[in-house]
Amino acid sequence: MSATTRTTTTTKGLGVSLGATLSTITALRICLAFTKDVSTYLQYEQLLSSPLTSYTRLQEGLFLFNHDVDPYSGGLFYHSPLYLSIFSTIIPNSRFIASLLWTFADALGAWALVQIWRARQGVSSPTSRDSLVAVSYLLNPYTLLPSLALSTSSLENTLTLLAIMLASQRLHSPSLLALALLITLNPSSILLLAPVLLLLAHPTGPKSNLASPSTGSVLTTPLLKKTVLPLFAEFFAYIAVLVGASALTSGGWSWVGQNVFAGVLLPDLTPNTGLWWYFFTEMFDHFRPFFLMVFTMHLLIYIAPICVKFQHDPLFATLLLQGILGTFKAYPTLADPGLFIAMVSVFPEIYSHLRHPIVTTLLHIHAALLLPLFNHLWLAHGAGNANFFYASTLVFACANGAGVLDCLWAGLRVGIEKLSTGEKASEDVEEEWTVVQE
Amino acid sequence: MLLPCFRHLHLLLFSLLLATPLVFSAHEAHTDEDAKYAQAQEQARKFFSATGSASHTNNWAVLVCASRYWFNYRHMANTLGMYRTVKRLGVPDSNIILMLADDMACNTRNKAPGSVYANSKHLLDLYGDNIEVDYRGYEVTVENVIRVLTGRVPDHYPRSKRLLSDERSNIFFYLTGHGGNEFLKFQDNEEISAFDVADAFETMWQKKRYNEIFFMIDTCQANTMYSKFYSPNIIATGSSRLGESSYSFETDYDLGTAVIDSYTHGVLQYLEGINKTSTATIQDLFNAYDPVKMKSHPGIDTHLSKRPVNETLLTDFFGAVARVEVDQSSNDYTSLYLDEVENAASLTPQTNESVVRVLSRGGSHEHTPAISQDASWARAMRTWGGMSVLLVLLGGVLVSSKRRATVTTLDT
Amino acid sequence: MESPPTKQTTAQATLVPPPPPPARENPVKRFLGRLKASPATKIRRRKAMNAKIHKNLGWLKLLLFIVGYVWMLVIPYPDLGRKTYSDENALQPAQVHTSYNWGDVRKADKYLEGLESLVAANATSERIATHLSDEFAKLGLLTATQAYNLSTTNDLSSGVNTYAILRSPRISGAEAILVGASWLSRTGEGDGTLNLRGVSTVLSIASFLRRSSHWAKDIIFVVSDGYMDGMQAFLTTYHGQTQSNIQAQPLRHSSGVIWTAMAIDYPAHSFSHLGVFHEALNGRLPNADLLHSFQLISRYAGGVPVIMYDHLDWREHPALRKQFDWVTPKWLPRSIRDRKELKTFAYHARNVWRHWGYQARGKASGIHGLMRQYRIDAFTMFALPAVGPHGFHAIGKTIESTLRTMNNLLERLHASVFFYTLTAPDRFIKIGNYLPSAVIVSVAMMFTGLGFWVDAGWERILVPGGKALAIGGKALAIGETAFRGEDRWKQRSRPVLAVLMIMALTHALGGALYTLCTTAVFLQNIPILLPLISLLIFGVPIILSSFIAPSASSQISKTLQALNLSFASTIISITTVLNFSLAALLCALLGLPLALGSSAAPTRSSPSSSGYPLKYPVYTLYALLGYGFLTLGLLYSPNLVVQAIQGGVRDWEAFGVWFVPLFCGVYVPLVVQAGVVVLLA
Repeated sequence: MSATTRTTTTTKGLGVSLGATLSTITALRICLAFTKDVSTYLQYEQLLSSPLTSYTRLQEGLFLFNHDVDPYSGGLFYHSPLYLSIFSTIIPNSRFIASLLWTFADALGAWALVQIWRARQGVSSPTSRDSLVAVSYLLNPYTLLPSLALSTSSLENTLTLLAIMLASQRLHSPSLLALALLITLNPSSILLLAPVLLLLAHPTGPKSNLASPSTGSVLTTPLLKKTVLPLFAEFFAYIAVLVGASALTSGGWSWVGQNVFAGVLLPDLTPNTGLWWYFFTEMFDHFRPFFLMVFTMHLLIYIAPICVKFQHDPLFATLLLQGILGTFKAYPTLADPGLFIAMVSVFPEIYSHLRHPIVTTLLHIHAALLLPLFNHLWLAHGAGNANFFYASTLVFACANGAGVLDCLWAGLRVGIEKLSTGEKASEDVEEEWTVVQE
Repeated sequence: MLLPCFRHLHLLLFSLLLATPLVFSAHEAHTDEDAKYAQAQEQARKFFSATGSASHTNNWAVLVCASRYWFNYRHMANTLGMYRTVKRLGVPDSNIILMLADDMACNTRNKAPGSVYANSKHLLDLYGDNIEVDYRGYEVTVENVIRVLTGRVPDHYPRSKRLLSDERSNIFFYLTGHGGNEFLKFQDNEEISAFDVADAFETMWQKKRYNEIFFMIDTCQANTMYSKFYSPNIIATGSSRLGESSYSFETDYDLGTAVIDSYTHGVLQYLEGINKTSTATIQDLFNAYDPVKMKSHPGIDTHLSKRPVNETLLTDFFGAVARVEVDQSSNDYTSLYLDEVENAASLTPQTNESVVRVLSRGGSHEHTPAISQDASWARAMRTWGGMSVLLVLLGGVLVSSKRRATVTTLDT
Repeated sequence: MESPPTKQTTAQATLVPPPPPPARENPVKRFLGRLKASPATKIRRRKAMNAKIHKNLGWLKLLLFIVGYVWMLVIPYPDLGRKTYSDENALQPAQVHTSYNWGDVRKADKYLEGLESLVAANATSERIATHLSDEFAKLGLLTATQAYNLSTTNDLSSGVNTYAILRSPRISGAEAILVGASWLSRTGEGDGTLNLRGVSTVLSIASFLRRSSHWAKDIIFVVSDGYMDGMQAFLTTYHGQTQSNIQAQPLRHSSGVIWTAMAIDYPAHSFSHLGVFHEALNGRLPNADLLHSFQLISRYAGGVPVIMYDHLDWREHPALRKQFDWVTPKWLPRSIRDRKELKTFAYHARNVWRHWGYQARGKASGIHGLMRQYRIDAFTMFALPAVGPHGFHAIGKTIESTLRTMNNLLERLHASVFFYTLTAPDRFIKIGNYLPSAVIVSVAMMFTGLGFWVDAGWERILVPGGKALAIGGKALAIGETAFRGEDRWKQRSRPVLAVLMIMALTHALGGALYTLCTTAVFLQNIPILLPLISLLIFGVPIILSSFIAPSASSQISKTLQALNLSFASTIISITTVLNFSLAALLCALLGLPLALGSSAAPTRSSPSSSGYPLKYPVYTLYALLGYGFLTLGLLYSPNLVVQAIQGGVRDWEAFGVWFVPLFCGVYVPLVVQAGVVVLLA
């Protein structure tokens, strides 16, 4: 992943304008939608859509909803009522329209990612890396395939990118609204709330401050009180309105347990690329509540340390939390780690500090080949069993974990290097001290 | 002194009622005055003192086949063989709890449909006639076994599914299936452990549900299953030692499966030789164990039993030889019968009602799929409402942020 | 692995004072002290360990390669395997009296006469199928025929299948067993030998089974036309699949899910042994329980000894000794040659070799092989032609007993293993005992690749001593005081993008090769076009590599070799699970050859001046390894090569055997990349 992008910084950009890249790839996708219905082959793939994001389940839910059966009354439908509202009103529910919608959502996401890149560089004009950044999202197999399978995780990715983009451009209200919408659709994205708020409140915003970690504490009480608190209040107001809209649409509150708490209570154990399903399949029922709590807490526990450690660069904190989400959340699809990998392209300053880029890449290649293979061996071929697929998800988790960890360390190293070289310049301490790096 | 005696007697009489074909009048015992109880007590004392070593008044048998599926044919044959013997020696069907998956006789793979044989020459059809299976198919579970033993069965269960034993009951408990060290598998689905059985027996003892238990088990490593017993008056025997398998006795090459296990075959062979009046003791049975023929080392555990096994008759467990004295004075057993009928009658309306309720619920459900015009209107209103809230919010935020942007540019 | 020992690319710096002079301590205390060493000590220790690993990487790689290859060679060793066993309790093999009797044998003879007269009259497929269908109908079975055509680029085959379904009276018909025979015997992989006795057996078994009612599954009898094509047409139609190049009539009768199947191949008058063929398409295998049950049944119920394939055990047939001379050559002393283990090894080795031959190419060894893709566990019983002593009676009894065992199944075969290597009918090797060999080789390749990756990114410079030099990279300034005065590592950028472009280009070349290979023009003119295409593949890299600036080429070469090895290693380690034989083949062909690559190049000592004299010969060797061997083969036996290529393409188009696409799209590109590495070195 990073090994690829790493060198592209050294070679002179691809020289293709962003517009051309976006329109070419979008046009190709539309052609694909016209000629071949790829989604029929991919929509049941467990790697590409989880119970919470599956297109077929959305269709089932819409069908039940349109026949006046509460879609949340069975254990089948976990999407937000807002999806029901959207697909039964302004967007006609047809597969062709859906493939167009997903294509445009992807293009929008890529565009947003490019805007984030520009905002981080502090430029508003096109840069030579624009196309590369866009391609890293559009042609990244981890994000492309779920999108072709019409998994709603692609739409949620677009919303994530939009929220971050708007926050980078300091558009408070739209950003918070996008975030609120994202969290209503996919509650586990709550992890991104803190870094996005921080991004909005931060004096230098999305600009890279990795190299100067000691610019002073940003998380001061006045900042929290004066800036973050009102932002949070605004966010909360949006959430309240959206919850109201959801309740209005579904005509009740049965969706709360099925949608909001699905990521916590794990009602559906359909295999996915994450680490939860197998664990909770094997578990005795009486341990379930405890371990559900542990797993949820484990996910939330990263927010504070990462936001505190990277308070000087909240965009980087967002990247790391997205990586953690992709590794540890309850119902991940390939799109979640895919978004993380695409977002890494916005942070070229860490590439030279990555510790094991090739190891991470190789792990990802192994995982990407093993996941579909073992899934097939287990469910289609019948020669393997659940443990095979579980083993491959472990490899995948290792790959994702290695990616996050590598980025984390690289992000810290960028700052430390500056620090130690600075010290060295000021006084010659080399004789007395051994400088060891851990 | 009097009060506990009264209680005691009441229980005793009640159990006698159940165990013997002749019924004492429970009503009278219930309602009579103290003098009558004293008289009855005296009568009972005499009755029991006359019975010699055995202090039981009724016999029960719980026969459990914990396996299912065609290839475990032999386990069903084991259990049915035991059933036949127990019945032959006088325990009535009402006192036998037979738990069987019962999927052999009518199995499609059975070349002799409707029959179960325990020998390859098809000499005796164990499924022949008069088989009363009390728990069958998926009812044979660990939970049900424990419930039967400890008497905690649901209220609606019929008498045939209850072990209505008391402190004067001798119980023969036979288990067969696939087991291991301190466990026995139930239908490839769950397991009962040696501790479960031991605790169930203790509960039975405390609830005065048995006088003596004869525990017999035929499975691999069977002897481990009784290693945890700690309640009194239990004689236990098993087919094989820890780490040792129990093997089948013979294969029927027509049916294509093994038809009986060696240990059970040996035991049944011995029991075939005794009748209701036999004076053979349990020690005699144990003496007949032959590790070579049984292909394993059967185990015996008598340390919990007060009576020496060489004085314990086999018929104390395998026969129903409860002594009965006919009491001419109290022959009013019809009242009990009437009582039962009344009970049954009082039950039926309830069931009917519940049936009616179920039906009506089903009926009301049928209406739901038809979508009324109103409902779809309301739904459309709701979805559009939700959507418009979303759109208004979106629009509002965009406009306001744009305005703010222009204001800030003006400011600058 | 990533960085050489002197560079610690980790993220947290701790400033640690130099350790105090060591006081005299007793060893225990010192040991305990080590356990709770300060971070700095731990880091230093780790550094030293990394240095050691890096220093000894060459030996480690060599060791891994040797262990891996030697392990592969000793796979047939008897002690590595174990006796087969039955894991599924329900099967109860060979526990029935069979009642297939001499009356049924007479019927089989009559069926055979009917078929022989048809063959003598040169009857068409249709005629034969109608005859068979009539015979089935006489037995009162549901029966029909199915005409099909299967077209591939170079070939068009058509025929008529016959099938019949015995509905079991006491079940709902949700499950089924298939008993099949192809019209052509598997002798010579469908060279035209007729399987008349096999077909007669199926008919007589059908008539025999009519008499009994204890079947828990429907039984489907299929007489498929041709060798494999008919069965493929039948199975795709039965499972509701559409294959674009098969036109087949829909089936008039259908039954439930087929769980198990057996194919009967009985080509000659009588037989001495029953051979087991079990390899399915793309290296899949049926559940081992089935094969174990069959060998028990055949031995005890049918009284027929079982062999692997058509391999007689030479320990029992001294006349066959010659076949094993390659394992135990004559020059070996007699005491060694006559050792029991060696004899067993030789016997196993022959079986394993045959097995690898099928599995690595993804070929099915009979019509049973087409079934595994539908989760049907199946095998072919091959009646080994001989003058005696067995005939219809023995095979009928064996089939009856096998059917009883299949009938006992309660769920799909799942208990035993799907991944195994049979070394003898009753011996097999568990996956854990053979899979590591290929994985070890792939790990060695991965290490080699990572070593090249480090080499490509770091340059070692000898520094005379004194103050630290400020060399180029910013990452370099700190952390090397300990090594000051010895040597330094200079970071340089790796041309990853260029290398990825080269790799993509080679794979595109492979894709083009595949497209060419599957055209009718190529398949009809292989002797002319193959050398041309090979020359093209040989030439393109030479021409393209000349465009790369000499200054950049050595870096590109190293990085390319690193990624090439890593990618090949990934491919191998993933293939091991799917198809071990293919992985082993790839290990043999790619393992050492790719790793050795540029090591002959004199880059270490004098990078610039002399060049690489052996460049073109080595490149040619790679070309031969990758694709040139086919052209070379044309010189010796044009027919063999032509048939191999045509057969491979046909297998891909008709049955979906992945070998040809894999060869073109993965194998050839990987070897071409290795060639490019040499060109650029």
